[in-house]
Amino acid sequence: MIDLVYWAPVMVGGALAGASSGALGTFIVGMRIPFLGVCVAHAALAGAVFGSLFGLGGQFLLLPAIGGALLAAFALGMANPERVSLDNNILLSFLFSASMGLAFLGIGLHGILGRSDNDVRSLLWGSLNFCRWEDVWMMGLACVVLVAFVALFFKELRAILFSRMEAQAVGIRVGLVWTLFLGITAVTLTVNFQTVGGLMIYSLMSNPAMAAFQLTRGCGRVLFLSAVLGLVSGLGGFVIAAVTDLPSGAVIVLLSSGLVGCAALVRRFRADRFFC
Amino acid sequence: MLTGSVIDLRAVTVHADRRCLLDVDCLCVEQGGIVGLMGPNGAGKTTLLRVCLGLVKHAQGQIVVLNENVRELRGASLALLRRRIGYVPQLLPARSELPLTVREVVAIGRTARVGLFTRLTRRDWEIVDQWIERLGLKSLCDRPFGAVSGGEQRKTIIARAMVQEPELLLLDEPTANLDLGWREKIVEAIDQIYTQTRISVVLVCHELEVLPPSCRRVALLESGRLVSDGPPEQVFTETRVTELYGTGLRPWHEAGRHALVPGGHRDD
Repeated sequence: MIDLVYWAPVMVGGALAGASSGALGTFIVGMRIPFLGVCVAHAALAGAVFGSLFGLGGQFLLLPAIGGALLAAFALGMANPERVSLDNNILLSFLFSASMGLAFLGIGLHGILGRSDNDVRSLLWGSLNFCRWEDVWMMGLACVVLVAFVALFFKELRAILFSRMEAQAVGIRVGLVWTLFLGITAVTLTVNFQTVGGLMIYSLMSNPAMAAFQLTRGCGRVLFLSAVLGLVSGLGGFVIAAVTDLPSGAVIVLLSSGLVGCAALVRRFRADRFFC
Repeated sequence: MLTGSVIDLRAVTVHADRRCLLDVDCLCVEQGGIVGLMGPNGAGKTTLLRVCLGLVKHAQGQIVVLNENVRELRGASLALLRRRIGYVPQLLPARSELPLTVREVVAIGRTARVGLFTRLTRRDWEIVDQWIERLGLKSLCDRPFGAVSGGEQRKTIIARAMVQEPELLLLDEPTANLDLGWREKIVEAIDQIYTQTRISVVLVCHELEVLPPSCRRVALLESGRLVSDGPPEQVFTETRVTELYGTGLRPWHEAGRHALVPGGHRDD
């Protein structure tokens, strides 16, 4: 049996990480930039590494990590793909390599200066099993900010998802809305990374959205279903792992991947292609 | 209140990669008018529409659209001008990953209109549904945009432009890649929109057949320059057609419709 009192923050953390990452994934996969997760993770790592070099440690490392992630997000948001004649994914690969280079430079400097970089590594590659209530509060706060933002800018985000150029031509403030969204994405992902780990967040961001795209239509329904599937993956994966005594992160990732496969099969065999 | 022209371009030039894309001395579109903007590939037709929308940052000259000097506008004020213009682009959005419905795509036109921090009201959705009905899209409104035909997608984008309640409609090759049947349906829809609303329209097209009967003015661009401007019969003479497309085609004008048909002058 699962000790509910002990594991409650882990279960709530998994559910929150799943739901928020699933909701974010609707927009990130919709814009065809799932690589954003990896890019933000390494930008956050670079920020944390240099924060550590300047003497920060423990939970305080989250601040420079968020700073690094925000820098990468704003750089991507302000670079209009049409004006720079480069696709978002190409810009992401540039930001990814630059932030990875900075992170490794910082890690190298730790060695040269004889300092430990353990805090930095644990910040980025956290584990769900060590999630505590203080982490859950942080994730909950990020979740509330995300929900408020999506509620405020839902119709603009829907238009941008359809076509950034179309949205700009009809008079939507694409640069403003998209940059704000990327900023909130960076903060949410960084908070989730340090609690539940990079690989799990990456899969929770991509897989529920991919499954939802197969099963339903309409931005609102996809967003809701993606958040629900993310929650199911995060919470359900942990429960299955606890019952079967398997590693929770791996089970969560595999459960979310399995949902994509099931959704693809369901869509394949349905005549009208969509549930609702 | 608008006075005279909805578009007033003077000495407008656009250069890119040391190449002149557009060099227009003077082009005015009067309020409530419909103008066909024609010319061969690379003539600068799409660039001209994008200049009017403020999408070409390095354009030079005087660009006045809906009484606003486009070159002086930035950020929010440029967005406000674009909300007054319905734009149907040449290329339809690449297949979106997100399965947005036809109704949601049409509603994008209201999104900018109502502005930030405001939800679409019942009145906005009524306008969306009215245009869906007017353009014969009612049976498709809950289907994903990516799952309907090219012609239906074009109509959806035209409906998206019209729900903005624009003062100026810019149509960039609205019949591109459509079969003859769909081309005629779109021409009919444009003609209907113009005669019923008297909105100012600029219609970019390659083929004379796409000009609706209500269009009595054609501006012809060639290598970025405006080479002729007037009624289709006067612009597309046999001599002009031979200059533009070589021998073997001649213009045909009847009952407000126009076409190029085989059988032009022979050089020999």
